[in-house]
Amino acid sequence: MSTRWYPIYQRGNPQLRVFLPNFWLKLIRPAHDQPPNIVQFHCSMEMTRHDVKNYLEKIYNVPVVNVRTRIALGKTRREPLKGFVLKEDDMKLAYVTLPKEEKFEFPDIFEKQDLAKQESDNKALEDTKQGFKKYLERNKFRPGLPGWFSI
Amino acid sequence: MLKLRELKLLRASVGNSPRALSTRPAANLSDEYTEKPEYPPIQDLSFKARKKRAAQTWHEQVKNVTTVEGKLIKVNMPRYYGFRTIMLGDERVPYNCLPLSQHYTRTLFENVQKLPDFYDAAGESVDSFAKSLQGSIEDAVGFATLCFRQRKSELPDDTPPAELDRLLGSEIVTQINRLLLMALRDDCAHLSETEVDLDPRHEAFWFVGGVDPPESVKRMRDGVEWQKEFVNDPVDRAVQYIGRPYLAVRHRTPLRPIRPMQEEGRETLEKVPLYKYDARTVGFATTHRHGTTIPGFWPGSPHEFGLLSYQCRDYLLKNPDVGPDTNDLLHAHGIQSSFGWLLGQACYQGFSTYNDITYPLSTQTVITNGQYWSFYVYQLNTTTVHSDCVYNNPKVNYCWGLSQTKLFEEVDESGKCIGFNEDVLKNLIHFYANVPEERVGVNMKPYLGKAEQKVADIEDDKRRAFLERVFKHLMANRPRHRLVPETYTWEKIYKIDNNTRPLEAKRRFFELGVNPFKRRLDDHYGYYIPRDLRPLGRRSKIRHEKNYYP
Repeated sequence: MSTRWYPIYQRGNPQLRVFLPNFWLKLIRPAHDQPPNIVQFHCSMEMTRHDVKNYLEKIYNVPVVNVRTRIALGKTRREPLKGFVLKEDDMKLAYVTLPKEEKFEFPDIFEKQDLAKQESDNKALEDTKQGFKKYLERNKFRPGLPGWFSI
Repeated sequence: MLKLRELKLLRASVGNSPRALSTRPAANLSDEYTEKPEYPPIQDLSFKARKKRAAQTWHEQVKNVTTVEGKLIKVNMPRYYGFRTIMLGDERVPYNCLPLSQHYTRTLFENVQKLPDFYDAAGESVDSFAKSLQGSIEDAVGFATLCFRQRKSELPDDTPPAELDRLLGSEIVTQINRLLLMALRDDCAHLSETEVDLDPRHEAFWFVGGVDPPESVKRMRDGVEWQKEFVNDPVDRAVQYIGRPYLAVRHRTPLRPIRPMQEEGRETLEKVPLYKYDARTVGFATTHRHGTTIPGFWPGSPHEFGLLSYQCRDYLLKNPDVGPDTNDLLHAHGIQSSFGWLLGQACYQGFSTYNDITYPLSTQTVITNGQYWSFYVYQLNTTTVHSDCVYNNPKVNYCWGLSQTKLFEEVDESGKCIGFNEDVLKNLIHFYANVPEERVGVNMKPYLGKAEQKVADIEDDKRRAFLERVFKHLMANRPRHRLVPETYTWEKIYKIDNNTRPLEAKRRFFELGVNPFKRRLDDHYGYYIPRDLRPLGRRSKIRHEKNYYP
């Protein structure tokens, strides 16, 4: 179901408009340890337990035993300059129970990329550090000279 | 509140401490010296060892209380507003909760095809009983179903199916129980001495260890340098079982144990699953409440031991997604209800969740809605599941359970029972024919006093009335006289989460560092005594009545 308004038909307009439902599910990594057959989703606020179940069963063919949903209160924080209190949006969380034989492990999508990037970053940082050390060593006995002075 | 309490503590410490400069000479010089120097034992002073010693002292204190009610109050002493409790029971039996039920009750479950060999001795007589009784049981089932249909027609159309299921079960079970008690009375003498509870309260409260700590606790431990190594240490959880069986049958003497109580080997112990996740992940609710332990009667009833209980299974209709795993839910419920009832009975013998039982107790449980029946035999060998008992306790409880079977296919318009299953009836008669026996040479109540075993035995009128009132108040679980201090939403936003009002006076409890849930049960004044009624006269400064908390 979409929450968008269907415009009133005017002559000449295209006759058929199809709006996609604003139903979506986002798989999230659970904050607390959970049994392997329970999967946690962030879903759109309009979705009910039945919607979540149908969504997973009908679109993704995932067997679902039951669904529990709750609405997590968004956090509040201070606006850094003006100082008034801001509130983040609430979010609806769905805890989906799969049959007990099923096991779900949250995928580690970025692990490999991260490692490679981290290594190159570390190397660059180390190089810079070494360069700075060399510079200090060179200028040990001539304090206050600008960096561009020597050849 | 905080200041007042500190002041009280200060006063207490001044009053009770020995005078530092007292120079009382020893009574006899020879007492002071011994041939070999006697040193006190060297104690491990690590954090964990100190915590363990404190816990042992606490368990010893509970053990030393002489009355049943006193012990049940004592367990509740640490919390004025009750414990944060995991609620087990027949209201909600979530999907896949069998491992949790086994861990929380330390139960080894066996799904068997027939009742344990223990019941074989009565086999032949039971067969003959079943043959002679089948006709009348069929009539009773038919009659009860017709009664139910009549009542159903008077109920509103939108009555939930779970309620109807319970109603039908209740009608059939009451009839069958009445009939069996009457018919078997001549052959099984113990049945004429039983007591039957209709709709009893079966409640039990205990502590479970080995549960993963919640994130907040982990964060707290992580913030303290020397506690960092304990970050993932398991925590204890309070558990409350609340069941409302159709009926329960009790007797003066306990059932015989199915197998001898013994310490098990490592292999057997490892078969008991460990459910480390929070109970809410599987669908159990938690709430703040006092621990209540009631096995269907108050302390003092002579019929203290359960023979069998009939549990309902209407939760299956409230939770229709279960599908083929119905039997798992029934097993979980069978374990929970049997343990809950037996723990209640054990508590009324003076044991508790901290003080393990010294002899085994057993019970029989039937879960039914009239048509589908499942049978469970349970033997309680241990009641201690708290803290590291989950890993160290060498004893386990045993449960043998049969999968559900139909007693009959259907009941037609005229009330005739079609497709009657005699095996179910035989199992049921086995349960009734199981003769309870007095335990000869066993001290049934080792942890209770000699003269005072229950509050009614107490001679002192004031103390008796006080304990009785507190006990009933706790067991009723009505809200405390002073409700839990509330944090308003605006305070949470503008005072706790964001410090937007720094100049305001700090008067609320959360600003003074008081956690209301940590308040102790005895942290309150006694009743006010008007001047004219004060025992030492009008000018007496004793304004409040004394507390007699155990």
